[in-house]
Amino acid sequence: MLNWSHFIYFAVVAVICWTAGAYLSFRERKTGAVYAWTILGLAVFFSFIVGLWISFERPPLRTMGETRLWYSFFLPFAGLITFVRWKYKWILCFSTLMSTVFICVNLFKPEIHSKTLMPALQSPWFAPHVIVYMFCYAMLGAAFVMAVYLLCCRKDKDVTREMLLTDNLVSVGLAFMTFGMLLGALWAKEAWGHYWAWDPKETWAAITWLCYLIYIHLRLKQDADRRVILYVLVIAFCCLQMCWWGINYLPSAQGVSVHTYNME
Amino acid sequence: MWKRPWTYLEGAVIGAGLVATGEILQLSVGEVAWNLFAYPLNVLLAAVFVSAIILAFVVRKRVYFFRWCATVQAAIPIMVWCAVLTLVMGLSGWMSMLRWWPLVLCYTFMMFVLGMTCLKRLRPFSFAFMLNHGGLFVALLAGTLGNADVQKLRMEVRVGRPEWRAIDESDNSIKELELAVELHSFTIDEYPAKLMLVDNETGKAVPAGKPEQIVIEGSVTGGMLMDWEIEADSCMEMAAQVTDGENKVKYVEWKNMGATTAAHVTAKQRETGEMKEGWVSCGSFMFPYHALKLDERYSLVMPEREPKRFASDVTVYTKAGTVKDAVIEVNKPLEIDGWKIYQLSYDETMGRWSDTSVFELVRDPWLGWVYAGIFMMLGGAICMFVSAGRKGSEQKETLKTSESC
Repeated sequence: MLNWSHFIYFAVVAVICWTAGAYLSFRERKTGAVYAWTILGLAVFFSFIVGLWISFERPPLRTMGETRLWYSFFLPFAGLITFVRWKYKWILCFSTLMSTVFICVNLFKPEIHSKTLMPALQSPWFAPHVIVYMFCYAMLGAAFVMAVYLLCCRKDKDVTREMLLTDNLVSVGLAFMTFGMLLGALWAKEAWGHYWAWDPKETWAAITWLCYLIYIHLRLKQDADRRVILYVLVIAFCCLQMCWWGINYLPSAQGVSVHTYNME
Repeated sequence: MWKRPWTYLEGAVIGAGLVATGEILQLSVGEVAWNLFAYPLNVLLAAVFVSAIILAFVVRKRVYFFRWCATVQAAIPIMVWCAVLTLVMGLSGWMSMLRWWPLVLCYTFMMFVLGMTCLKRLRPFSFAFMLNHGGLFVALLAGTLGNADVQKLRMEVRVGRPEWRAIDESDNSIKELELAVELHSFTIDEYPAKLMLVDNETGKAVPAGKPEQIVIEGSVTGGMLMDWEIEADSCMEMAAQVTDGENKVKYVEWKNMGATTAAHVTAKQRETGEMKEGWVSCGSFMFPYHALKLDERYSLVMPEREPKRFASDVTVYTKAGTVKDAVIEVNKPLEIDGWKIYQLSYDETMGRWSDTSVFELVRDPWLGWVYAGIFMMLGGAICMFVSAGRKGSEQKETLKTSESC
């Protein structure tokens, strides 16, 4: 039976494949090899997730450690899609690096998981809700790094092309976030009796959602200050972190949220 | 300021004005009493609000303020205000902010701006735009105004005693319903028993922070915990604690109400070769839990088994004559006569032997409207995903042509 002690082998192989893909993306005419290496890495990593799923007899989506696993998977996946679509050479480097960070967090600070899933989480809504969110986090994480890069390294140059990429990342991320949030609302109605209860996680989801909406609306006007817009993205990403894991440590959210499963 | 065209600054000031007005209202009339908005007042208010938006839209050519309301310059500041006020609620955890006038006024104005924008974008009509914006408008309007019509009742039913009364959770009054629930049986399925070590002094599971466990399931009956090799040679799901002639505790098979789970275990210290054997049990409402002391540091325990599934086998009767048999579970509510019946709880002192099931009955007449809004937004999200990047590629084309020129 597969368990967390096997994680390191799968993770090392996957990171090597992704690094190879990222390296080749800088070489001309190696696009096929880039796809092959990245997909191979994704397949290796995904086989660990599936193995864990089978041995846990539930989707590995419950604890922070398990959600990080999906994040590590979807980052290179989002990176690959971006590479296929827009051919940015650096994107795979970035996604591999980010993914490796999350893999390392899982390796060095494991939050080992009990085998069980509480009844409210045994629902067909559960897996889509969290996977959609993980994909959204990966996209918006990429947008955040773009924003920091543009704020710090590209002060005076023409960055129209990079801003367009950021817009795309945010649009796709926000579309997924909306989807995840509304799936959550439909699920909540079935499980808890109401679609929206201003539970701390829901409150922070609303704040985060509003922040990304503000970004998108600001971008509709060409005259807005670019730095202000990018700062909105940074703030929005901070809210997203709060929504994702911050509320587990927020004093005012203790004991009242149906979303803090890892505080057993 | 206030020179046309108005910018974000004017929008921010209007938001501040709303917050100030809201605070004055809060001090003079008290918090927003959402429960007063019950039917038919909420229908009336919804009609007035929508008519006001339509009217404002019609006269927008004559009134600059209304014309401005349908612009991005109006939308962004009020979104920022709403985000900031919600942020305060998120940080402080004060749920009472939902009845705080400044927050309510800001959200109302945001919906006004949203409504105006929807009307403005009827021509040229954009399907995706209408799904996103219209969906949000419908869901917010129905969700907030319909809230006072939501009924949430709590019903406790014992096996064999049909119940038609329930407690209203908002004011703890007892209501007689048009339906009755008869409970045939209540069952809890549990996850397999687990074994773990606890520190004798602190009583906490070890290793601290990430306790190790052995799950006794199927062919798996043993494993390592710290330096102890554990093997469960028998595990009974239904057992009773008895005392033998020498006053030693042991467990025997006993399929009756109040039974507990018990396992007979042998443990071997890997380094010293020390052996221990004995019973461990998680206990029930009838029997205390039972641990096995291994050495000065550790004891072996069986934590309480975690519930996997709660289920109530019921028959529901309505006054209209409908009779429905169903199994109600967490995540699987029963829908009947406009009510949704949820599995909420049970008699926790009895654990898996509870003969009482607690249901939550929810009725929300506005749910259809909220769902309409939600599904519009889901459609809008799909459109957004599909069209993302289209604007980018158009602009890139113009970039390329301008570069080549």
